[in-house]
Amino acid sequence: MAFFELNVLNNAQEPILGIDLGTTNSLVAIWRDGRPQVLKPEGHSGQIPSALYFPENGEQPIVGQAVRERALVDPVGTVFSVKRFMGRGLKDVQEELSSVQFPASENENGLIEFNIRGRMYTPQELSALILMRVHDIACKALEGHPGQRIVITVPAYFDDAQRQATRDAARLAGLEVVRIINEPTAASLAFGLDQKQQGTVAVYDLGGGTFDVSILAIEDGVFRVLSTTGDTHLGGDDFDRALMELAYDDLLPQVGEETAQDSAFLQALRLSAERTKIALSQHLEAEYRIVIPESDIRYHREIKRSEFDALSQPLIEKTLDSCRQALSDAGLETSDIDEVVLVGGSTRIPAVREAVEKFFGRKPHMELNPDEVVALGAAVQGHILSGGTRDILLMDVVSLSLGLETVGGGVDKVIVRNSPIPCQATETYTTNVDNQTGIKFTVIQGERELAGDCRTLGHFELKGIPPMPAGLPRVAVRFQVDANGMLSVTAKEQSTGISASIEVKPMHGLTDEEVETMLMASYDHAQADFDNRRAADLRVEIARMCRATRAHYEEAKPMLDRETIEDIDDVLLAGDEAEKSNLPDELQKVRDEIERATLPLAAVLMDAVAKSAMAGKTLDEL
Amino acid sequence: MKTNCSECEAELATPLVCEACGALQVCAESPTPFAVMGLEPGPVVDHAALKKRLLELSRAMHPDFFGGASEEQQQLAIDNTAELNSAFELLSDDMARADWLVRSLGGPKESDERQMPQAFLIEVMEWNELLEEARDAEPGSKEHAAAHELGATLENERKTIMQAVRDALTPLPESGSTALIDIRKQMNAVRYVDRALAQLAELALEANH
Repeated sequence: MAFFELNVLNNAQEPILGIDLGTTNSLVAIWRDGRPQVLKPEGHSGQIPSALYFPENGEQPIVGQAVRERALVDPVGTVFSVKRFMGRGLKDVQEELSSVQFPASENENGLIEFNIRGRMYTPQELSALILMRVHDIACKALEGHPGQRIVITVPAYFDDAQRQATRDAARLAGLEVVRIINEPTAASLAFGLDQKQQGTVAVYDLGGGTFDVSILAIEDGVFRVLSTTGDTHLGGDDFDRALMELAYDDLLPQVGEETAQDSAFLQALRLSAERTKIALSQHLEAEYRIVIPESDIRYHREIKRSEFDALSQPLIEKTLDSCRQALSDAGLETSDIDEVVLVGGSTRIPAVREAVEKFFGRKPHMELNPDEVVALGAAVQGHILSGGTRDILLMDVVSLSLGLETVGGGVDKVIVRNSPIPCQATETYTTNVDNQTGIKFTVIQGERELAGDCRTLGHFELKGIPPMPAGLPRVAVRFQVDANGMLSVTAKEQSTGISASIEVKPMHGLTDEEVETMLMASYDHAQADFDNRRAADLRVEIARMCRATRAHYEEAKPMLDRETIEDIDDVLLAGDEAEKSNLPDELQKVRDEIERATLPLAAVLMDAVAKSAMAGKTLDEL
Repeated sequence: MKTNCSECEAELATPLVCEACGALQVCAESPTPFAVMGLEPGPVVDHAALKKRLLELSRAMHPDFFGGASEEQQQLAIDNTAELNSAFELLSDDMARADWLVRSLGGPKESDERQMPQAFLIEVMEWNELLEEARDAEPGSKEHAAAHELGATLENERKTIMQAVRDALTPLPESGSTALIDIRKQMNAVRYVDRALAQLAELALEANH
């Protein structure tokens, strides 16, 4: 039987998946049947924990839900919250290191690396493993391959290095990032479409690791960001930490310094804190429990919601400060806001909801699942980018100012935050020395006056300036921020019209060569990976073919001869057995056999369809 | 500045894109912000019309709508949308607009002429004193109340000076005329007022904390 998908795409472009690569959970969505939908294979919630487990024997890591379950029993070997390490240096992430059970170091480019079972992994590679799992889930849900193109979301407050790291992670996973969009903007897309909104909307996004607040004007399908601000170091994890500290202080005298520093102990503390926090959203009190029999630790403490609220206050107040800043930047008052949208699992915390409602003076919208809304928005953007509609347009802004480091260690702002993107600015340079052919400059991202208080994006070296007397060359350096919120720099010497080449040494990032090398290295494992992939695909296809065959088998049996029936029964059995196989060649044989054996079945059904069409009946009515 | 579409020859309302056939236009040199929006250079702008034009042109050239096009076209969409956004930002801001006009007519840049009008300087000295007192004073004190009044005075002052700037730019002065120097001095006064207002706002924020 010809198993063709009646999936006629109404334009020539490949569909684009929307992926929310979250600190705690990831989701994938696609535009289908006129709306965005989160992809959920049968029995799956759609939420893919952004967690990895590396077995002691050096086998392939496990990614996703299985890791969470495993971590309850054996926290050693687990990796959580990889997003917190993307595009950062070691000194930025000291507090977060307890979520990774392996030693961390920093290479000479400021890139963090984890020593996992004898192999060094960058956060980009860890995220790539998560993305591969996410893509697999999409394939399972769609029962096929949707292609490699994706829209991926990042916190609005992610800087260029963090965005680049995200793009590199996707590339390492074999995915093509068509667009990077900001999480609050994505959420507003999903919300705006769902509620058919017009007006001024504030999006309050409190995720696992980051906080963003964005203010948008929605008008006739155009979603225009007016201002955005946030904190990449503030999220649900911090609420967990507040609870953790209570337990830590209680337990320290009992367990002693050494055990208290043990990563497994801290991991257990963290996971219990998270469970307790979630419980307190539903109940007025909860029990914080830790049981580690090997270390003889049996601890429990009752926490009242009021206690937790008091602990959360300073964190919530920080988010409200950001809200004040965003309003001020947009030139608006709280009374100008028509709607408030909550995004991110942490907005389920009652104290958070109350504070937001009080601040904006209106009830926030919670119709859409705060966990799904970002992925849904990414799918909408994917739909726009694949040519699906011209009725919706996202106009976002630069979230952090970009500038150049001055000789005195200050910052000369070149592009100001909240500038609509794409945007650009040109600075003119000249040389200090006769026949100087190169110029160096450092690009800074942030709002502070001193370069040292901001983030260094990278060191740029301009080369190929034609030799001239000092002061004569007019090198126009154009800084352009694209629709992804990412910087590109081009330079042209104006009197000669010659383009200078730019070499970038990124901070906390991978150079293009390094990404290439990693992709090449993965080709060493390629054959094994490829076989695994092929085997997985074939198993999915076989299962589908068996299901489809069985769907019409009984009705068709009266029209088939005995040999054919025996043949089909045999191949269906082999198909069921194939679930256990991981050998691609063997699976291919099974698949081909099913196809061959069910040809007569297909013929009979086609015949029946033709006959009934003439009789005015449908296949279902047969 | 090119006036006809390179693809269909239709007349262009903006040098960045042809709204008749949808073709992105390549600009040899950066178009003026007024040309981008199809406006005659002048100190007054209809904000509602400007925003409407921004949305129209964004729909015509935004890179999101060129997702399936060649890399060259995609880059052109980014470049032209960046020009559009620059033009909108400049034209939306009364000082940026005035600054552009003064410079385009050969008048002095801010760094070339830093003086403020004579008569203004005396008031500046008084205001500086009030600001200093407010900084050192307690919340709820009379110095703070004086600072609040100062805010209202400054807002009015800004309106008056900007009106004078607009009047001086209507009609546009001759290229290189000395009137441009006086206009720059008045704009420097507005710059001072904006800085003073920002300081007052900061003081108010600190008081609330």
